[in-house]
Amino acid sequence: MKRRQFIKTLGASASLVLLQTPALAAVNKLVSKPKKIVWVVLRGAMDSLHTIVPITDKNYHVLRPKLAPSIANDLLPLSTDFAFHPALKHMHGLYKSKQLLPIVAVGSGYPRRSHFDGQDYLESGLSSLDHDTGWLGRALNEMTANTKALAVANSVPISMRSSSKVSTWYPSRLKDADENIYEALMNLYQNDEMLSSRLQEGLNTQEMAGNTSTKKKGKFVDLAKSCGKLLANNDGVDCAMLEVGGWDTHNNQTVRLNRQLEGLDQGIAALQAELGEYWQDTVVIVATEFGRTAKENGTGGTDHGTGSAMFIAGGAVQGGKVLGDWPGLAKEQLFNNRDLMPTTSTFSWIGAVLQQHWQLDSKTIANVFPDNPAYTTQLIS
Amino acid sequence: MSTTNSKATIAANRFGLGAKPGELELAKQNPKKWLAAQLTPVVFDQNLPSSNDVFLQLSKYQAIKRQNKKNKVSEEQDKKDNKVRQKFIQTTYRKLASDTFVQSINSDNSLAWRLLDFFSNHFSVSANGNVMTAIAATLEREAIAANLFNNFEDMLLAVSKHPAMLTYLNNERSFGPNSKLATKSKKAKKGVGLNENLAREILELHTLGVKGGYSQADVIELAKGITGWSVANSHKEDATGFIYRAWGKEPGNRVLLGKTYKQKGIKQGEAMLKGLANHPNTAKFICHKLVKHFISDNPDSQLVDILVKRWQETGGNIKEVMLALINSEQAWHVEQEKFKTPREFLQSTYRALPQNTIKFKQLFFTLNTFGQQPFQAGSPAGFSDEQQDWDGGNALMSKIDWTTLYASRIRSNAENIMNNTLALASSHNTYKAVVRAESRKQALVMLLMSPEFLRR
Repeated sequence: MKRRQFIKTLGASASLVLLQTPALAAVNKLVSKPKKIVWVVLRGAMDSLHTIVPITDKNYHVLRPKLAPSIANDLLPLSTDFAFHPALKHMHGLYKSKQLLPIVAVGSGYPRRSHFDGQDYLESGLSSLDHDTGWLGRALNEMTANTKALAVANSVPISMRSSSKVSTWYPSRLKDADENIYEALMNLYQNDEMLSSRLQEGLNTQEMAGNTSTKKKGKFVDLAKSCGKLLANNDGVDCAMLEVGGWDTHNNQTVRLNRQLEGLDQGIAALQAELGEYWQDTVVIVATEFGRTAKENGTGGTDHGTGSAMFIAGGAVQGGKVLGDWPGLAKEQLFNNRDLMPTTSTFSWIGAVLQQHWQLDSKTIANVFPDNPAYTTQLIS
Repeated sequence: MSTTNSKATIAANRFGLGAKPGELELAKQNPKKWLAAQLTPVVFDQNLPSSNDVFLQLSKYQAIKRQNKKNKVSEEQDKKDNKVRQKFIQTTYRKLASDTFVQSINSDNSLAWRLLDFFSNHFSVSANGNVMTAIAATLEREAIAANLFNNFEDMLLAVSKHPAMLTYLNNERSFGPNSKLATKSKKAKKGVGLNENLAREILELHTLGVKGGYSQADVIELAKGITGWSVANSHKEDATGFIYRAWGKEPGNRVLLGKTYKQKGIKQGEAMLKGLANHPNTAKFICHKLVKHFISDNPDSQLVDILVKRWQETGGNIKEVMLALINSEQAWHVEQEKFKTPREFLQSTYRALPQNTIKFKQLFFTLNTFGQQPFQAGSPAGFSDEQQDWDGGNALMSKIDWTTLYASRIRSNAENIMNNTLALASSHNTYKAVVRAESRKQALVMLLMSPEFLRR
């Protein structure tokens, strides 16, 4: 019996909540393929209200007289109360096939409205900023010695700092240097710990990436595709991080967000296609540093806000419903009278993924997110 | 290695953009004096277009586009015209951005160019979209370079009024909810109003810093203070560049950081910016950033204090603050604590190995590969100035690959270049690796990829 069917049978016969921990742990031991996690950071603060639209909240239409009608006719229905932006076609399909969980009104706990601080906070996962350690790096340190992690970037992002399992990769069109140059440099760097370990790392990743180098550079869909290739085999990478910029829509939001969401949607589709059968054991977590103002601004956009949204997707996800508590958009329901109120913690949701997908115990999760215990809601099938 | 020689190496590499042949000899006499003399204006190619020229040209293309629509010209012709416009935009961007780069590598006052890069990145704008691609690089030429050795408030005001900054951070259409426009015109119904973007970044990135003690209310007050600071539409108006639209200004007093600003019109925003420029937290924020840029990722607080003190004594005079940095003992320690950014790595490489011509296309390809294409930081915070954001394994591999390619195209005596740029003694590992390399190419790669050349 295939694993998914087995779990479905379990789900049909008994309360999943009761069975969840011991039963799933036992099942997971039987599975030889590694459990993969892909972490996607949307830099610039995605406007969640334009992405996961609260269709039944009357105030939404009042606050956004120009933005709301621009997409109203083509929304993709999720639940009674929410619908996706029309550009999220593939993700909508995932939702319908129960492989995606949108979560509304989330926040990292970061109290201010600076992108850069907000992103560092989201990546660090601590209640005070620490640029040297990220939540994913701390989680990776709890995994087996041969777990491999990859940042699709030129340098290690904060999320993955403090772990030695991480390497970086980014497509380049340059021809590789000769072997003898690498050897000579290895020798030159013998007294320089930083440079020698970076060189070793670079050589390892180059070998792993093989000929996946893409000619195109920097587009999310291409990066996601390459990332999928690097993840898709038993000895491949177990965990990867991708980043997408361009979400800071202070003006002309209708056009800009449409383009951004299209790119995200295509990227997720490309990642899934490249992962092939590994998609079944993969969880993709997508989050952004904070949300945007509930009310549209004077230039067809939105300014920096607080509460936002996140996505958990993948073949391993028990999806098909919108999670999170909707706080409402009436003036007194807003944060500081202006932003969507965050009602659940981004980190507690991520903690739940780590616990259920990577089987990290509560004590370990407490090291990863000291201030945000994992939720017990079942996210993984 | 003699002490004077080492001070000359520090002067050329830590403060400047790396030594050109012959520079270490010059610096040796009196390294501090040599640097102080470099605090002189930077000079650009004056034949390149200004932001006004760019706006006029774009406006002409717009007119052609409208004409085409009106005359229902063939799709082919329209495409052709569009191509011409795109070419102008791309060429302008490349020419302007590479002019800065090329001038900096040929310059005898590379310290000044380094300072220009610092403030250009401090007031980062990105070349996204047609207008920004064409004008992004004019900000550093017109607002930053012109005020490089003035008081910081002059630079802040010039930058905040420059069309590139106003467009990039969306202030050009930010109007007061109680302005004449909003209360009397029909346009009000179309939802004109405030946009906080520029005001927030002025507080967070340009002046006080994120921990500088401002609140959301301050952001809104500053945003209201600079409503109406806009960019002329050269098609509809007989003007280009900055324009103050009185009918879009939010009326009334403003309260910023507890201080009330009663000025009217454009004066109000100007007074608010001056207040911010001269706030003690701005001095701290920018001096800290300067020490971080020139000396170490973990700035010595005593050194920062020296700069802050000079800032306050001189009303934020950038030249005086730089002199204080040059003349401080703390800046001259022999350990190399700074890892070069990709841009600085390339600048110092080209300075060490002077070229007759640098091809624009190659330059942009290389900077893009290294992740630091001019005006592509993609965020108003600019590019990072920290080692950990540039020292990844992949970044190192790209540099090795590029350097190997570059070294194979150039015939140079690596030992001479080493003496001209780093003046290493024979006890150094790098010295040995260079002189014992198996080929000319390898020798050059060893030098350019050495721990000493990658840092300063």
